[in-house]
This record gives sequence, structure tokens and C-alpha cells, in this order.
Amino acid sequence: MGTILVTGIAGGLAQLVAQRLMDAGHQVVGVDYRAVGHPLPGGMTVYQANYNKTIIEDVFKHHHFDSVLHLGRVGNLKESAGKRFDLNVVGTQKIMNLCVSSGVKRLVVLSTFHIYGAHPANHIPVIEDEPLRAGLEFPQIADAIQLDNMASTWVYRHPQVCTTVLRPTNVIGPSISNAMSTFLRRANVPHLLGFNPMTQFIHEEDLSSALLTVVERSIPGVFNLTSETVLPWRTALRLARARTYPIPGFMADAYLRVRGGFPQYLINFFRYPCIISDEAFRTAFGWTSRVGIEETIWTTVAEAREQQRLAREKARAR
Amino acid sequence: MSLTGDIIRGLIEPEVAAAIDSVPNHVNRLGFDPWGLSPEEAKVYYSIAYRIYRYFRPEIHGIENIPDGRVLIVPNHGGQIPYDGLVTAVACLLKATPPRLVRAMADFWVPTLPWVNVAYSRCGVVVGDPINCRNLLEEDNAILVFPEGTRGSGKVWKHRYQLAPFGRGFMRLALQTGSPVVPVAVIGSEEAIVSVYNWESLAKLMKTPYVPVSPWLPFLGLLAYLPAPVKFHIYFGEPMMFDGPFDDEDSVIDAKVQVVRDRVQQMINDGLAARKSLFF
Repeated sequence: MGTILVTGIAGGLAQLVAQRLMDAGHQVVGVDYRAVGHPLPGGMTVYQANYNKTIIEDVFKHHHFDSVLHLGRVGNLKESAGKRFDLNVVGTQKIMNLCVSSGVKRLVVLSTFHIYGAHPANHIPVIEDEPLRAGLEFPQIADAIQLDNMASTWVYRHPQVCTTVLRPTNVIGPSISNAMSTFLRRANVPHLLGFNPMTQFIHEEDLSSALLTVVERSIPGVFNLTSETVLPWRTALRLARARTYPIPGFMADAYLRVRGGFPQYLINFFRYPCIISDEAFRTAFGWTSRVGIEETIWTTVAEAREQQRLAREKARAR
Repeated sequence: MSLTGDIIRGLIEPEVAAAIDSVPNHVNRLGFDPWGLSPEEAKVYYSIAYRIYRYFRPEIHGIENIPDGRVLIVPNHGGQIPYDGLVTAVACLLKATPPRLVRAMADFWVPTLPWVNVAYSRCGVVVGDPINCRNLLEEDNAILVFPEGTRGSGKVWKHRYQLAPFGRGFMRLALQTGSPVVPVAVIGSEEAIVSVYNWESLAKLMKTPYVPVSPWLPFLGLLAYLPAPVKFHIYFGEPMMFDGPFDDEDSVIDAKVQVVRDRVQQMINDGLAARKSLFF
């Protein structure tokens, strides 16, 4: 079992995947541009390094990596577009170059289905060959599109590194604190007046198991990833036991600007469907998702609901 | 249960519910297919549609021409608001044996319309994209497609019952999936709402395909856009089969499209000639 580098280790998904890899007997090294707030289990070596600076080169010098899981795509909310470009585009390019020069056998890049864009002309389902429409209306997503394109090109340009690009749908779960998970945890979640698009989710455990399968099986390519169930947004909110209220479409942008919590340039995902098919992945890797939709959504919000319940009781007691 | 829930369930007509229950479909455990069809919610919308259907008192001819399995149902299109689609869809559900829950192909702007997009998708309407259509045909659905598109529905009064140019998409899909084409003439729909002028600049501003201007607008205001109680006649023609490669040159496909268009026009002309009155 070789050593595996996992990027984005300050995030919940990377920590979960690292744990699963260690359980499977791999040695794991973690890296993030952010500081890791708390000690990580299992004696994992962790570095803090910007992906676009020379310090990441040292990480590759100190270890001999068998595989690299690049899960550290910087989320949409946390950083400015300029910083996202540096980390996601320049940083990813650097990591991929280091993989080639240091003889890494396997590279997994975690992209996102956001790059397809939620567009009225989307047919169902969307497969991997489709045009990436997200940039049409929302150029802010350019860094994610470029990251994906670069990694996809890598698949063919550097066949000595087995590169697999995954484009998962909305990733949610108890350890995840991305925009969608945080949004679902709110006590009141808005919806767009007159819209209720079909939506998909994938649970963190399913995504972890998919990533572990990729590490084991080593098949290059670009793959969508989702769970089976497709459901309307407001049905998802019902499963999350969230109260919901409508916002007129013309006010949605202003709402997100003021209230925050969700990137404005992903607003169309609450208006139009972007339903992906992961048949290619399931066929190539023999993988299936295991967590049902009810469990996927409920485990994501359960802790937040409990806290909200306690807060309400406290307020009542006062 | 809530009061609104009771009112909504009260709208459901047993005839509609029974027909929808008898239709095989591919919904998941939560009751939705990937496009957003929900048979349970469709019962409500179809029940409302059935009331509108009865308003037009349609006479249905040749519904037995709809074959089992995959099929493309191809009517004329007109009348500003697609009551022709609504009445045809209800006829296919309630008058055909076995009942068919048609999957209608809608224009790209439909998903942008609040509420309409939800109602449409719960009833099985999908965006008119070749991949959507092919996937649904391969599941042996009946597809309702208007090859005139919005060119047809936006027709002004003087062009009523004159078919606008047909698109080629439906023919390529018929060839690719081996689906028969059932030509349909809808009589009445093109006179239900009168438009004498398409206000194109306003349409551009509102991002709609057309803005009909009714001659009754000065007298009736927006009431001018309520459909007149014209009587509908729907003629389902015999299924037409086509052979040849689906990816042939446009000119070859055009010739086949023209055969369907001529047939629909002929059926319209016959239907108009057989009609005794606009309202009875």
C-alpha cells in the first residue's frame, strides 16, 4: 500500500476520505491552504501550503506518493474570484505537473456538476460529453470550468498518470460544510416563487466509497457521479424538515447578496434542472450508491435541527 | 390533512385518476421520473385540463389510430395558448384504449415561466430536445410534438389553418427510433383566441416568442385573451411509417417531413369542409 496525498484536508470530505483510506491500510498525507483547526486522527501528516506556491513542491519531495486525490477545489463562497483562480487553476496545474514529474501513478480530481450549468435548454440526463453551459450567464464559475478542462486534458496528455475526473452532483452529509449542506441546515430555506426544479444529491459516504473505488480500480476518464433518486427541490426541503418561503425571481439576486449563504451565480440551480447520469461511472467501476435519499438529506441536517430545537426550548423557557 | 390539500384532492376526477393509474411509468420511490413527471400531481392538473377540455366540447375521430408503444403524435398548432395540446393530451388519456399519458415537447422558454414550468413537468411535458425525445421514445412513450413550434402557435387570424414550416427533428427521431407518426388535425383551436398582429418588439422585450394582439383588446381588455367557446374536432390519422437513415441530408429528410405536413394539411382541409358551425 503506497502513500496517498489528499488535498483540501481541512474540509470534512477530505478528512472522511483520508480516514477511509487509512482504514483500508493506506498511508495518508494531507495538505490544505487553510489551517486545520483540530488534530486529525490516525497520525496523519498534514501540511499547510498554497497549491500555487513552491511549498507544495516540498511536500512532493518529502514523500513518494502513489496516488493523489485532489479534493481541494476551493468552494464557491469562501474566497474571492482572484484567489479561487490562483488556487483552483494555477494550483491544480502545479499539482498535476508535480504528479507527472514525481511519478505518481494515479490522480483523482474532484470537479463538480455546477460546470454544466442549470439552463432551460438542459435535456435529461446530462452526460459527460455535454457542453459546459454554466459560464454563459455566470462567468464567476470560470475557475471551476478551467480546472475541469485542464484535468480532462491531462487524461489524454499524460497517460503515464492515470487521471480520473469526477463531477459529482450536490455533495451533502454530516461532515460537509459546503454551500448546499449549510443551506439545507437553515431552519428556513427559501425557494424561488413558481419554480421547483428536479434535483440530485450524493451522500458523503457514497462519494467516499466512489473515491476509494477509483483508487483501487484506476480507470482514466471523466465521470459524473450521483445517487439514483431525482426529486424536486421542495421535496428535498420537506425531507430536510425545513420550513420554506418563496422569493420572487427578480429579488433572488438581491436576497443572496444581502442574506448570503449561497453563491449568486448558482441561483439557476433553484430554477432549472441539471440532472446528470453517472451510468458511465457505474459501468466502468461497478460502483453503486448505497445511502437512500431520505437518509442522505436527514443525516446532513439532523444535528442542526437538534440545535434549533434546543434553542427554541431555551427561548420558550425564558 | 390541510384544507388546501383537501381542496386540491377534491379537484381530482375519478375518471382521470383511474386512467393515470392504469398507465405504466418509470417513477422512483418518491413518485417522480427524472423529468419531473408525477402521476399523483398530474391527476390534479389533468382534472383541471379535463374541465377546459369539456368547455371546448371536442369531437374525437380516429383515436384508435394511435398504436401501442412508441409513437409521435403530430398535430397542427395555433391559437396563441396551446389549448390544442391540452385537448389532444386529455383525449389521449381518456379516449384512447389503453390510456396514453403523452409526453409533450415544449419550447425552450417554457422552463422559464413561473408555475407553468412546474405544472407542465409534473404532467410529463419536457423541453423539446432530441435527446429528451429519443430517451422517451426508447421507453415506448407517446410523444406529442408540434413541428410548427411557436411559429404555429403565434399564427395570426389570416394565417389560421395554414401550416407554418415544419421542423425536421421529429422525422429524424421517428427514423432513428423506428417510431410511427400519427398525423393529427385539430379544428377549432386556431379560432379560440383571435390575434391580428404579433407585436414582435414587445415580445423581444418580454423574452417571449410572440405577443398576440387581439382585435377585441380595446373593448374587452385582457378578457380578449380568454378562449371563445368554439367546438373542437380532433382527427387522428392513420400511422405513417418512414424508412431510411435518420442522419441523411436535410433535403432527404425535408421530403419526408413534407409528406407528413401535406397529410396534416389535407386532414385540416377535410375537417374544415366537414364542419357545419364554429360553435356547434
